[in-house]
Amino acid sequence: MRYRTRHVTRYDYGEEVPVSHHLVHLAPRSHPRQRCRKGTVSVEGKAAARADYADYFGNPTTYFALQEPHRGVVITAEIEVEVAPPPLFAPAATPPWERLRAEARALAGGEDEDGIGQYAFDSVLVEASRDLAEYALPSFPGDRPIGLALAELTLRIHRDFTFDPTATTTTTPLAEVLKKRRGVCQDFAHLGVGCLRSLGLPARYVSGYLRTLPPPGKPRLIGADMSHAWFSGWCGDDTWVDLCPTNGRLVDTDFITVGWGRDYDDVCPVRGVILGGARHTLKVSVDVEAVDA
Amino acid sequence: MRRLAEPNAYPPTLLEGLAERRLQGSLFGEADAIGYAPSRVYDEMVNGQGSLRPHWQTFMGSLVPLDREAMAEKWDEALRLLRQNGVTYNIYGDPQGIERLWPLDMIPLLIPPDEWRTIEAGVVQRATLLNQILADLYGPQTMIRSGRMPASLLHTDPGFRRCCHGIKVPGNTFLHFCAVDLARGPDGSWWVLADRTETPSGSGYALENRAVIGRILTDSFRHCQVERLSGFFSAFRDTLLGLAPRAAQPRVVLLTPGPYNETYFEHVYLARSMQMTLVEGEDLTVRDRRVYLKTLGGLEPVDVILRRLNDDFCDPLELRADSSLGVAGLLQAVRAGTVAVANAVGSGLLESMSFKAFLPTLCRHFLGEELKLPSVASWWCGQEGELGYVIDHLDRLVIKPAHRGLSLEPIFGADLSGAARLELAQELRRNPWDYVGQEQIALSTAPVWQDGKLQPRPLVLRVFVCHTPDGYRVMPGGLTRVSNEPGRLVVSMQRGGGAKDTWVLVPRRDESSPVLRSAPPGEIPRFEPRPADQQAPRPDLPSRVADGLFWLGRYGERIEGTVRLLRAVHSRITDGSHPGAADELAPLFRLMVWLAMVPQDVANLGDGIASRATRTALRAAVFDLDHPNSLRANAQRLHRAAHSVRDRLALDMWRVVRQIDRLSQPPRRLDAAGMLLLLDDVVTSLAALSGLEQESMTRGPGWRFLDIGRRVERALHMAALVRGTQLAEADGRDERVLTPTLEVLLELGESVLTYRRHHFAAPQRAPVLDLLLVEPTNPRSLCFQLNILSEQLAALPDAPGHGGSGREPANAARSIVGAARDNLRQVDLLRAGPPLSAALHHLVATLPEVSNLLAHAYFSHAFARSA
Repeated sequence: MRYRTRHVTRYDYGEEVPVSHHLVHLAPRSHPRQRCRKGTVSVEGKAAARADYADYFGNPTTYFALQEPHRGVVITAEIEVEVAPPPLFAPAATPPWERLRAEARALAGGEDEDGIGQYAFDSVLVEASRDLAEYALPSFPGDRPIGLALAELTLRIHRDFTFDPTATTTTTPLAEVLKKRRGVCQDFAHLGVGCLRSLGLPARYVSGYLRTLPPPGKPRLIGADMSHAWFSGWCGDDTWVDLCPTNGRLVDTDFITVGWGRDYDDVCPVRGVILGGARHTLKVSVDVEAVDA
Repeated sequence: MRRLAEPNAYPPTLLEGLAERRLQGSLFGEADAIGYAPSRVYDEMVNGQGSLRPHWQTFMGSLVPLDREAMAEKWDEALRLLRQNGVTYNIYGDPQGIERLWPLDMIPLLIPPDEWRTIEAGVVQRATLLNQILADLYGPQTMIRSGRMPASLLHTDPGFRRCCHGIKVPGNTFLHFCAVDLARGPDGSWWVLADRTETPSGSGYALENRAVIGRILTDSFRHCQVERLSGFFSAFRDTLLGLAPRAAQPRVVLLTPGPYNETYFEHVYLARSMQMTLVEGEDLTVRDRRVYLKTLGGLEPVDVILRRLNDDFCDPLELRADSSLGVAGLLQAVRAGTVAVANAVGSGLLESMSFKAFLPTLCRHFLGEELKLPSVASWWCGQEGELGYVIDHLDRLVIKPAHRGLSLEPIFGADLSGAARLELAQELRRNPWDYVGQEQIALSTAPVWQDGKLQPRPLVLRVFVCHTPDGYRVMPGGLTRVSNEPGRLVVSMQRGGGAKDTWVLVPRRDESSPVLRSAPPGEIPRFEPRPADQQAPRPDLPSRVADGLFWLGRYGERIEGTVRLLRAVHSRITDGSHPGAADELAPLFRLMVWLAMVPQDVANLGDGIASRATRTALRAAVFDLDHPNSLRANAQRLHRAAHSVRDRLALDMWRVVRQIDRLSQPPRRLDAAGMLLLLDDVVTSLAALSGLEQESMTRGPGWRFLDIGRRVERALHMAALVRGTQLAEADGRDERVLTPTLEVLLELGESVLTYRRHHFAAPQRAPVLDLLLVEPTNPRSLCFQLNILSEQLAALPDAPGHGGSGREPANAARSIVGAARDNLRQVDLLRAGPPLSAALHHLVATLPEVSNLLAHAYFSHAFARSA
């Protein structure tokens, strides 16, 4: 599949501010199933300082600053990617999960060129806990192939948790999400990551977009899409399997990857610091368009 | 004189004294002779047989007989010096106030030259090694890839700042200044307890310890030959200047978290000694990926930052987002190579205990040699074998957090019951990465002077090392900290320990050439002036400091107004026989109500001056911290304003401010006469403060802002007094009311004598108002303040960031002042009525705008912030 997406972030600061600094994860990274043809991040007005580089996890990162008095900022990311279908997933043929746990530990103690080991440990937003392990364990009986366990865990989260944008904010702790059984895609992705970490397994948080299909007979609404997030579980060697607990499905060509890290904090789309300013408001619009190749 | 410097040439008294004791058959040698009895651990001063170690003999010889009175005198002198130099440290969350006097002990720790050489070599090696480890972890990570260190150690440590990975730092030097905490084991060898690689504190205190002890123990200092400290800081300053990306006139700043930090004294002290501008995060801003200092003259580029901010507070954009102490965009500037930060952001990583266990291996790998100074034996539980060992030996190990992201007190395994030990073992298995098991070490003791005698106390020695072009260089001395309890194994200033000067003894030269050092004993570090072509940057005036000085002026004056009014009231209450006392109380209370110092009902006192409600209200107006207009509340504001600009104030000014703060604290018991004396003292202190402002401050922009603050406040206060007495509105009042009102006004306006000089009769309305409002030669009159304001505003530098129109804000402020003055002058004071009250009303409404204009133009750099 080939996609064009447009992600517009609009901050209104309520009053004039002299300087604002921004750190942005909006340009997509390439990976074996995804080729990035275009990834531009542009800023309305004059961004006086700018730097583009890859962060520690290999995600494209953009820094920019506005240095003339301004009342807000509009950041537009336009990307074009090609997404290939994932290789056939044979969950029963994956290694047993305990073996991977042992391997992950060994990795952490020795050679680990790709830094896989780091995804098994706590990060700012996702800490392993007994509660998470308890929630996950029913899907991880002894000797079960990791693929089967991951698939079941994903479906259980999908079944047990209610999608509810009013239930949580970006600062809601994971423990509370687990208790409330409500949240949004970001919470569910954290949940998946947290479950795996609590069992000693490496897991990544992935941020990106999901293609949405309009209801039958209705036109596609431009800008009505959203940022999306899911998680990725390590299945040995260099195999990672991406799963979307929000929709209870395997990640396929409907999903566009922007970046990954240990949690949302590592790949937060837009992070900013403004000097001064009153109450600020934020509007985001995302448009994912499938392009016929 | 020569004789004194010769080896073993201490005064005869000790030898005689000791000899005498020996002759009298003491079996215990010298230690017993001075009543010093260390326990079974290693003692720095006496050996196992109770004899003085050789390197202590000269020193003790200069000190004995340990006469209580003589020692007490020296101690008083030390306290005086510490107070005078303002040597303080802050205890977090201390209800006793934010500043404590530095707890210095009189007896230095002595270290003989050969032993020092061992320490020195070990510390240099360690700094070199730690630097290489940082360069590797924040770069190619070969030690992870090669398996010399487990990757999980890095992955589980929040001190590893991923955003700092891959950043190139000048010369690949991450550590420019670090410290090592050493303890001496029972066998006499030194062990490393901790590495301080982030923002090591204590070096400034070490300098100050030397300055004080060198002065009170002049003779001892001369007899023992002691290594000097000052060359070390000159070298460090050169290192910092050398880091600057721009060669010409580099600007080096010391970035402090601010006055509430534990070691703020030291930040001020080091910034002063090394001639750097002391800045807080809000003084800096990043533009075009470059760091700038916001000064009164505009944005000035910053080349090197010596930081005392911890890693995670440095940059809210990439590190802790909720930090307001740091500088947004700082890491971008570091990445762009436009600024150097010492130590490199991220260097706090190596303070983690988990690294200790790997240093011997890494030392062989990176330096090809054995670790010279061993760390206290440690096992990181993140490895299976080590975890097993720790669990098996819990009874004799201390369990510590593996890194500083964990808040966990050390657990002494020996203290635990069997069940608790099992529980701990389980926790270790669950979260092995979070723990380190460490051998328990018995600290050596050194004598402290306490309760009139020498007593042994456990000690930890902090040694400082800085990077120079020729490698690392160790400060020949250090900060010795002692525990306040004989048996305590944790030494910490936060927990009430004390400090000692550390004397590294100079090697004895060939006896034919005794070394007579020429520097005075009370060695205060001084730095050689630099050649003209590489001048140290001039100290800039950060906008925040100008702001602080402005408010210092305002609060100083506000307290003056408050205290004069309080004193006028109390003097009349105390002394009822004062002529007119009763009549004058009425207008005084009216004024207090007008100025919101007491509630309305208190003023309707009738004859109830002595009523309980009145007394309570009056006391609150003095001491109640929650009363917004009380003396106490204003004294605290003054103290805060002064504290925020402490590095810019003469010590005397700071002392006066502290005195005012102390005076305004509610005493336990205070009678009316005592209250009056207290208010008198405050008035005197305030006079000292304004005197120092006028006589000891350079006439730079800082002083101008302070004076502007004072004048604005005094003008507003005078206007408020006249308005509060309603003199402006009506004339022809009953003389029995009018006369006391005018008397009061003259007193509060500090103009009684001036008035009497010109008028002999009872005060009349028009001449009184003329004197207080218009008379240009009366330094208390309103017009006098406006005239000075106008001059000061005219002399301000151009406001930054206004392009060619930098004079606009000052000119706008001047026209406000000018209009107020013209209004006043045009009023016919012989006729009461609307014109005067309108003029005053207008002044009170417009003068605060001067404050806002200045704040906007000079202090905030157009940063949206209300004044």
